[in-house]
Order: sequence, then C-alpha cells, then structure tokens
Amino acid sequence: MSEKPSVLIIGGGIAGIQASLDLAGRGMQVYVLEETPTIGGRMAQLDKTFPTMDCSICILAPKMMECSRHPNIKLLTYSELKEVNGSVGNFRVRIHQKPRYVDETKCTGCGVCAEHCPVEVPNEFDMNLGMRKAIYMPMPQAVPRLMTVDKENCIECKLCTKMCRAGAVDFQQQPRDVDLKVGAIIVATGFDQYDPSEIVEYGYKKSKNVLTALEFERWVCASGPVAGHLLRPADGGIPKKIAFIQCVGSRSRKFGAPFCSSVCCMYATKEALIIREHAPDVEVYIFYNELRAFGKGFQEFINRAREEYGVKYIRSRPGEITESPVTNSLTIWYDDTLTRQIKSLTETDLVVLCPALLPRDSNKKLASIMGIELDECGFFKVVHPLLAPVDTPIPGIYVCGYCQSPKDIPDSVAQASAAAARAAEALTLVQAQRTGEEV
Amino acid sequence: MCSGRVEPVFVLNAFENGADGVLVAGCHPGDCHYRSGNQHAEKRIEKTKKLLDLLGIGSDRLRLEWISAAEGEKFASVIKDFTEKLRIKGPNPIGKGRQSLPPHRAARESIHDVLKRTKALYCQECGKCSSSCPITRLDPAYSPRLTVEKALMGLENAVLTDKGLWSCLTCYLCRQRCPLDIEYDELIRTFRAKAANNGISGNCSHEGVPFSLSRLMANQETKQSRLAWVPQDAQVAKAGEILYFVGCLPYFNIAFDDINVKNIDIAQSMLRVLNSVGIKPVLLENERCCGHDLSFAGDQESYERLAKLNMAAINESHASTVITTCPECYRTLKTDYAELLGQPKFEVLHASEFLASLIDQGRIKFPGKTDMKVTYQDPCRLGRHMGVFDSPRKVITSIPGVELVEMTRNREGALCCGVSAWMGCGRHSKQMQVERLTEAKGTAADLLVTACPKCQIHFNCALSEKLPVNKEDFAIETCDLSVLVARALNLTQSPDSTERIEK
Repeated sequence: MSEKPSVLIIGGGIAGIQASLDLAGRGMQVYVLEETPTIGGRMAQLDKTFPTMDCSICILAPKMMECSRHPNIKLLTYSELKEVNGSVGNFRVRIHQKPRYVDETKCTGCGVCAEHCPVEVPNEFDMNLGMRKAIYMPMPQAVPRLMTVDKENCIECKLCTKMCRAGAVDFQQQPRDVDLKVGAIIVATGFDQYDPSEIVEYGYKKSKNVLTALEFERWVCASGPVAGHLLRPADGGIPKKIAFIQCVGSRSRKFGAPFCSSVCCMYATKEALIIREHAPDVEVYIFYNELRAFGKGFQEFINRAREEYGVKYIRSRPGEITESPVTNSLTIWYDDTLTRQIKSLTETDLVVLCPALLPRDSNKKLASIMGIELDECGFFKVVHPLLAPVDTPIPGIYVCGYCQSPKDIPDSVAQASAAAARAAEALTLVQAQRTGEEV
Repeated sequence: MCSGRVEPVFVLNAFENGADGVLVAGCHPGDCHYRSGNQHAEKRIEKTKKLLDLLGIGSDRLRLEWISAAEGEKFASVIKDFTEKLRIKGPNPIGKGRQSLPPHRAARESIHDVLKRTKALYCQECGKCSSSCPITRLDPAYSPRLTVEKALMGLENAVLTDKGLWSCLTCYLCRQRCPLDIEYDELIRTFRAKAANNGISGNCSHEGVPFSLSRLMANQETKQSRLAWVPQDAQVAKAGEILYFVGCLPYFNIAFDDINVKNIDIAQSMLRVLNSVGIKPVLLENERCCGHDLSFAGDQESYERLAKLNMAAINESHASTVITTCPECYRTLKTDYAELLGQPKFEVLHASEFLASLIDQGRIKFPGKTDMKVTYQDPCRLGRHMGVFDSPRKVITSIPGVELVEMTRNREGALCCGVSAWMGCGRHSKQMQVERLTEAKGTAADLLVTACPKCQIHFNCALSEKLPVNKEDFAIETCDLSVLVARALNLTQSPDSTERIEK
C-alpha cells in the first residue's frame, strides 16, 4: 500500500505557511501545528512590510486562506507537540490539542458570543494593548475562523452558550492527543520579542508613552486597539514628536542577545514612513548604531525616508529616557556620536523601542522532544550554517525562518521553500527505497 | 611661610617620610600679619594632633610654638627641649616600615590587554555611557566614550595625560547601562595606576589628608590606637565570630568635624545595635583603611599592602562574618581582596544586609512608632557596584511609622553624591550634590538616609558651604542607616535624637 507522503510543520507563521503550501502543491499531506488559535504568526501582527510598504495582512491573508482550503493541508491550531519517535520517512508524532470549548464543525465565527461575553482581558494579539473577550477570535482574519474560549479567564456564565445560534459552544470538550505518522518535520517557530523592562533607564512599562516595536505595529494598525489612529498611549493626545531607539537588548553582551536582529533598522524606517503618511507634521527620529540596510532596495528605502519623508537619523544609543510626571512627555538623553555633543530630545510624545528578537523559549522543549540541538543563543542548530542551512543533524527534520537565524520576511519565505524542497527530496528517496524504484 | 599655611597634610607627609617630630613655630597670637593666620594654625595643629594619636604616632611628636623673629633664645630652647623629648621617645616607628617597590604590574599590562580584560574591545561607540555620565552632562570635555575610543586607537599618552581621567566618579552608571558590559570603573582604575606609574596623579580633596592617612596606615609598623570612640558600657571582643570593620570613621570624625557630621555616631550606633541583640563584635585595634580610595586613585602598591595587613588581622580574629558600615569597605573586602588574595574564609556583609537579616529573624523589634518620611540615597558602591538595593529599603520600611519615599532617580539609576575616592572635589561635585539634595527635598521627606559615611560627608559639605543658590531649596537633614536604626531602638544618648523619637 502506498501512503501519501506527509510532513509535519511546526509553526503557522509565514515560514510555516510557505513550506506547507509548497509541499501540499507537490501532492504531499501536510499538517500545520500552531500553538495559538490562529495561523499567521508575527507577520499577521504587522501593519506594513518593508521595503514595499505592502499591507501585511493583505498579502498574508490569501496565503492563510489557501492553507485552510487546501485539500492536502490539515491545520492543527491551539495545539502542542508532545512526542516524536521514529526516523525519516516514519516519524510517529503525538500532538496535544487543547480544547477550544467550541465545536469546530459548528462554529461559523460570527462572533455573537464574544459580543455578549462579559469578561474582558488584554488581547495577546494586540500585544495586550487592546482588549478581547474570554470567548474570542484573536483577529478578524483568523484562520481557522473559529471562536476559542480562554478557560483561564472564563467565569462560566454560559452566556455564550445561550447566544450561539449554531449551538457550537461546548464546555464538555476535553483535551485530546492526536497521533500522526509523518515522513518529515519542518520547524518554523519564529521569534519572541525581548522584554526591555530590565533596561530600566528606558522606562518601558513605567512610562506609558514608551512602546516596543511590535506594540507600535498594533498601535498604528487599522485593525489594532485604537483603529490605527496615531495617538499618545498615555492620554490619547496627538503626537508631534516620535523617536525610535535601535538595538534595545540586541548586539548586547549583558541584556537580551549578542546578535543583530537584522530587521530593526528597516522596520523602524518603515514605521517612520507609516507615521509620516499618517501625519506629515510629526517629527520622527531614529536613534541607530549602524544602519544595516543590506537587502535589495533597502538602502534606497532609507534614502527615501531621509529625502522624501524627512526622517532624522541620529547615530547614538541614548543613555536614558526621563518622563515628565505632569505631561508624560519624554526626554531622551543622548550623545550625538557624530558631533560628539551630549544632547537631549525634549517633549517627545512617543518612544518606540526596537528590542532584540529572540528565538522562542519553547524551542528548548521542542528540541528535547525531537532530539535536536539549540545553539547558545537558542536558535536551532543545523548541519552546516553555509552549506546545509536548513538541515538539522537528524535526517528528515528541517528548520527555516527566524528560529534558524535572524532574518526578514523574504528570507524566511525563501528558506521555507528550501526546507520544503529538502523535505520533499528526503521523502522521495524514502519512497523510492520502499518500492525498490531507482531514483 | 605663615603658620596658618601649614596644612595637616604637610605634617602627615613629614611623618610619612620618616620625620621623628614636627615643630611648627608661628607668630604670637595678636601679631599675625594676616590677622588670623595663627588662629587657623592652632585649629589645624589641634586636629592634626588628634589624627597622630589615632595613628599611634603620638601627638607629642607635633609641637606648635609661638616664637617671634626676635626670640632667638626661645627658639633655641624650644628646639633643645623638643629634640631632647624626641630622643627619649625614640625614632618615629613607621620610619622603619618605609619601603620602595618596583613599578606595579598595572604599569606592565599593555593597553590592548587592559581593553581586553575590561571588555572595552567590544565597544560599539554608541555613546550610551557618555549620555548617562553625570560628569559629562556638566563638563562635556570629559566623556567615557571618548576615553575608550582614544584607548582603542592606541593613544595611550593621550589617555593617561587627559585631565578627565581623574574626573570619573567610577560611579558605575555607565557600566550599569553599557550593553557590552564594559568594565569602565576597572578601566579607569587601571589607567590611573598606569598614570601614577608615570608620575601623573589627580588631586586629592581635603588637601590630601585622606590619602596621607591611608598611606600611613599602609605602613606595617603603624600601630594605631583607634578604639577610643568605643563607649564605656559597650561590649566588644578581641576574637570571635562576628567582626565589625569600622573603616575610617574615627579619622573622618576628626577630619570633618567642621561640616556638621559626626561620623563616629555611625560606629557607635552600629555597635549599640549589635550589643542590643547580644552580639559582642570583634573590633580591631589596628584595623587599617581598606585601601579602596588609594586603589581608585592609582596607588595600587599601598592598596595591596593594606589588603594584606587587613586580611591577616581579620584572619587572626577567627571571624566568620565581617560587617561593614561603609560600602567602599564592603566592595573592597568582598570582591577586591578576593581577587587579589583569593577567596577569604569569612563572609562580608554590609550593615544594611546584616540589619535586614536581624529584622527577618525577629531579633530586632522596634518599640513605639516614629512618624517620619524618609528618602534613601543608594551609594554607588553598595547599589550599582554590589547590587544591594533591597536590604537598606527593607530596614527603613521595617521601622514602624517610617515611610520611604523614593527620589526619581533611584536604585540602578541613582545619582552619585558627587565625589569618589577623594578625587577632585570641585564645581561639578557641588552641582551634583545640590542637584541630588534638591531631588531629595522634592520628595517632601524629613530625612535623607544614606548607607555610606562618605555620601553623608559630601551632602553635609554642600549643606554647610556657602553656595550661590537658595539653601531653602535643598536643605534636608541627613542620617546614616545605622544611626536611624539605633535611634528607632532608643539606643542613642544624643538628646536631640531622643526628642525626635518621642515626638
């Protein structure tokens, strides 16, 4: 009996989505494992992309939809990897599915339940800046389009059960384990943002007008917590001066990470452009150390930000940010290293910290389940960083995207396709061996 | 020269160099050409005599006489009498202990090795240090970033001759914030040692008295008698489990009696608190300066001699716990001695840590209530250098009725008191002190509590000085943490403090 070759993809971000579409297109069976209730990952949270200034969700959503509709792709959202055994061509995988308390076959995602749910909690998808209900959909474009009950915060008033016309809410649901047989595994777990609150001099979590870059993405996004209006977080006032600070915890030997996150110079420039497009009279400053604009069209993008948008670049890592207790406005103290002057940027309405992007903490657990290794920074180790960048030492297990090394969207997509190709190659080989065909 | 010009350090230097006695002969009172020169001389000599007694050199080796230019006979008889008395007394004991040493190893370490050891090779020249530095903000001519950059370019001469080398407070704020964890304080300390080996030194404040005292204590022949401050009824031991390392408080008490700070209160309070919980601490009769200041001023030789002498004395006492009321002693004993001489057999605790543990164990119970609002100055050495932020706060807030209000810049971000290692107290120091006191006053606290005798000295200095600013804006009473605890336990005899407690 010839089984359809199958691949498990861990992580439903842009890398995982790309790899799954590539493999499904080749006629393979793909399972996409995703920890949160929706696929989309970090890219879904972004307002726009650099250097093309595409609306991020607008170019991602069609791919997400394709994933969910593809006959060869099965989405396993709100799930975790529990166990992996076997070897290439024959991995036995156990997946733990958390109960959604919503019947997937009945729920239409209409959201009536959430309208009536009395419990409001911070929305993780909006980096906790906005609120969601205890029964929720993380974002309007969520895939699969299903509601999820957050049992930790649910008060079990059962109002949702009463309001749901499809009768989909099911508090009797139990967690369940799903066993799969797959030929290969692709790991694409992406990144987490470093929490810069330990860099106390920048006042993150103390000064309301200090945000991280991902928070800012949600803040200015039309589907975000303030519907995309450019406001001061502290009081909803109209900002006149906004500053970005680069390398917050990255390229550091003390906080965060020793490596360069590789995308901050560019996304800060992108966010600066978003600001100037929203409100052309807002002054925008970017405090940088080295401007790393190495990709295609990147330097030109920065040139445009300078020439057309008047974004001001200052070479400095500021020493501290102080907050006025009266106005909540911020003063940034910095050494303008090119002019060697100690200066302060006063009455800044909003400071966006660009923190180190770290491989996820949960990689440790995943690595031990699969028997692969992490490097000292938490990235998955590969056989050779130059010549076998997606191959882990275990045949049949591949990595791609940020969890392999810092990279942007186009590089993640390219690497996802590479990992898909390597997985397909391995499975073809295994298939051939089984059937005795010559390859 | 006018007798009024004879600073204590001149006398101390003479003894350092092996003099057996020092005679200061001045014009008769009322005859001063500068009106009050000899009155100053009298005060200074009196102070110096007290210091000599503490050092064990003896005040009788210093003599002040009024001899006018016309009194040749008196001059001769005084000289005769003084030399005769000195002959009976014998030579200056410390003359024997003077030794010249080869250049310190810091001088031999290449600049590249220094940069590597202190991690300065990783510098990204981002300027986070210089924009944090409280000195650079007041004096842009000095910048930690440019010091590192110059060193990275190999401009050793430029670094060592830069005046800015001596401006650094080694307050650790830049190191605290440096993303590369460059050990800037250590870099400065090493560069200063290198500079000192090339005959360059910074200015010691207080006319050099503190350094001279430390160097005298570094002499192995020095036999101090420094325990006169111990109250009659206090319980102390010669050997035992717990040792209280008093630090230079007995000297400070004499040297800074004119700026309204009684440093010895700190030692007495600590001793009384320890006694009150049944601890009979060891006090060293011949305890020496820990050497912190000399070490940070480039005199590594004297520092190392002090380290060895103190270490031997502590070991001899069989103490397993050493308590200090001074954060500089704390850092030096705990980390610097360990680096130099290997891990010691004893544990070093700052008073705040020890007091906090006594409170935790329920051994300290405060009677009554002291309605008071206090703010707290994090000493650089205790806070940023050693990471002790919580213990002093815990002690303060454990006192019933005491409310702790934080200054805007606190803990890791606290502003230094403006001087460290007695180096170059000047305009910027005063500016910083006024700035910090204003911040303290702004919290509406009744009291500024410090956990470092030197912070208190520096703040009180600014408070007692005539400055071209409105005193009202920053006048706040200062108090050491140990004194605060002793007061709250009614362990002090000082009448005004008992009054405060009752109030």
